[in-house]
Amino acid sequence: MLNELASLINKNIPSAKAVASIPEDTKLDGSVTVETSSITEVAKFLRSNTEMPFNVLEVISGVDYLEFIEVNYMFAHFDVNNMRRVTLKVKVTDRVNGSVDTICRIYPAANWQERECFDMFGIKFNHHPDHRRILCPDDWEGFPLRKDYIAAKVYNTMELYPENKMNMADRDFIVRQDMIKKAQGEAATKA
Amino acid sequence: MQSRWDIGEPEKPTINEETEQLKSELLTLNMGPQHPATHGVLRIEIKTDSEIVAHAIPHLGYLHRCMEKHCENLDYRGVIPFFDRLDYLASMSQEHTYVMAVEKMLGTEVPRRAELIRIIVLEFQRIASHLMAFGTYALDLGAFSPFLYAFQDREEILRFFEELSGARLLYNYIWVGGVWNDLTDDQVEKMKSFLDRFEENTKTYHELVSMNQIFIQRTANVGVMSLQDCFDYGATGPVLRGAGYKWDLRKQAPYSLYSEFDFDVQVGVGEIGQVGDCWNRFIVRMREVGESIKILRQAFDKLEPGSIMGKVPKIIKLPKGEIYMKTECPRGELGVHLVSEDGGKTPYRLKVKSPCFTHTSMLPRVAPGQMIADFVATVGSIDIVLGEVDR
Repeated sequence: MLNELASLINKNIPSAKAVASIPEDTKLDGSVTVETSSITEVAKFLRSNTEMPFNVLEVISGVDYLEFIEVNYMFAHFDVNNMRRVTLKVKVTDRVNGSVDTICRIYPAANWQERECFDMFGIKFNHHPDHRRILCPDDWEGFPLRKDYIAAKVYNTMELYPENKMNMADRDFIVRQDMIKKAQGEAATKA
Repeated sequence: MQSRWDIGEPEKPTINEETEQLKSELLTLNMGPQHPATHGVLRIEIKTDSEIVAHAIPHLGYLHRCMEKHCENLDYRGVIPFFDRLDYLASMSQEHTYVMAVEKMLGTEVPRRAELIRIIVLEFQRIASHLMAFGTYALDLGAFSPFLYAFQDREEILRFFEELSGARLLYNYIWVGGVWNDLTDDQVEKMKSFLDRFEENTKTYHELVSMNQIFIQRTANVGVMSLQDCFDYGATGPVLRGAGYKWDLRKQAPYSLYSEFDFDVQVGVGEIGQVGDCWNRFIVRMREVGESIKILRQAFDKLEPGSIMGKVPKIIKLPKGEIYMKTECPRGELGVHLVSEDGGKTPYRLKVKSPCFTHTSMLPRVAPGQMIADFVATVGSIDIVLGEVDR
């Protein structure tokens, strides 16, 4: 199904360069990766085509792989006889000014999902009608779900996690320290 | 392709022409964060023109704990209690979705008895959650006593869960590979006798609330979410079924053992009001309780002695890859996007698709042109739990 969809997208939108990736392990989900710049065209096509339509956008989920940030769009077709689901991926390589075009005029569900993706990963969505943070406060610094995020010590002059009140040994996020170091090292070499 | 969602054309709120003529200066009114009708800490900034809502802007995040980040630092078993705390009124369903995602990646076989016990607790949880929705919704609209009736029955279900798992709300009961504790015959008998009593009670609730003239006047034709809106915003669960669309994952894409059970998918047909309004969403929940009773009775009959835990490695390590798993929770479809790295003991990324988040995003769409009191009824009818919206 993913191969069919990828060829269908390529036939109608050649600039999308859709590639289907189907894992060998059948338990896992496959996906279709498209060019970042063509996402609005692809979304428009997915919603309006008659051969393989997708009428619902379920969720937008970002994943930070350090080399790039991936935006996963989960599309589904809610039809009793003919249900299907696909994960559409685009990659954002620029960690500072990375941006994707919004699809919230095609799938209004994307409005809040894109805001959440911006809030958590710092990806900008061009032409978004209400581009604000959604879960964190407006004056929050940093993007929490990035792998190189370091939790703030002070917020609005309030000390967060004061050491005399917290059992910091339990809260020490040792596991991801390697990620933070890796990302910081990469940033240093680029600079 | 609908022209109204074409690129470049801004989204236009639908405002009634009659109310448009009466427009005066807008007043900003904050509903929440501590407002009883928002079911938690949700703030809705309402711009009103006297009694009529012109815009409603929900502000989220008062309960934001960033559990997705916490989960990246926990092993796969340690994540389960965090899922309890998402939707604290339907913890079993939340656990189940996550556990199913891990089991599918791991390729674990779950014993039949464990699957049946899971279905029993899931359906009891659905009843408990819908009872809460029913009670608090009546409370929103000014009727106090249905709340007490609902809590009486919910209390008994919570007692069952307490006996079974040791906790009343946050269970940590469904584990990877099976369930934590076995169900005894004595408990099954108690549950069966409860169902008989409860089925009689539901009839009372229908007489008391569903067909009550005051209730109907408050809810019928109020807060209509059309089928097109539901697809646009990705609504699921009772909201989508209330709009008259027969869509239930237990039936359309059966998981666990649901394909063996005989039950109907209840949809709003608009015998009172119109499809997609508050009354139809409410009645879908009430009728789903009846379907859950049907499933429970069949599950008790199918119950056989056996193992309750499958073979699971001591330290769970998942193959490199990703999965998106969704199940039908009381409030809609809960999705889990789980990404694992090779040989990692912790999730690389865990994204929760919350049905309440989706439904809250529909409020700005339905609010313009409503009376403030009707808006309260609309917020109540989508049955949000803020623990799940804010995560």
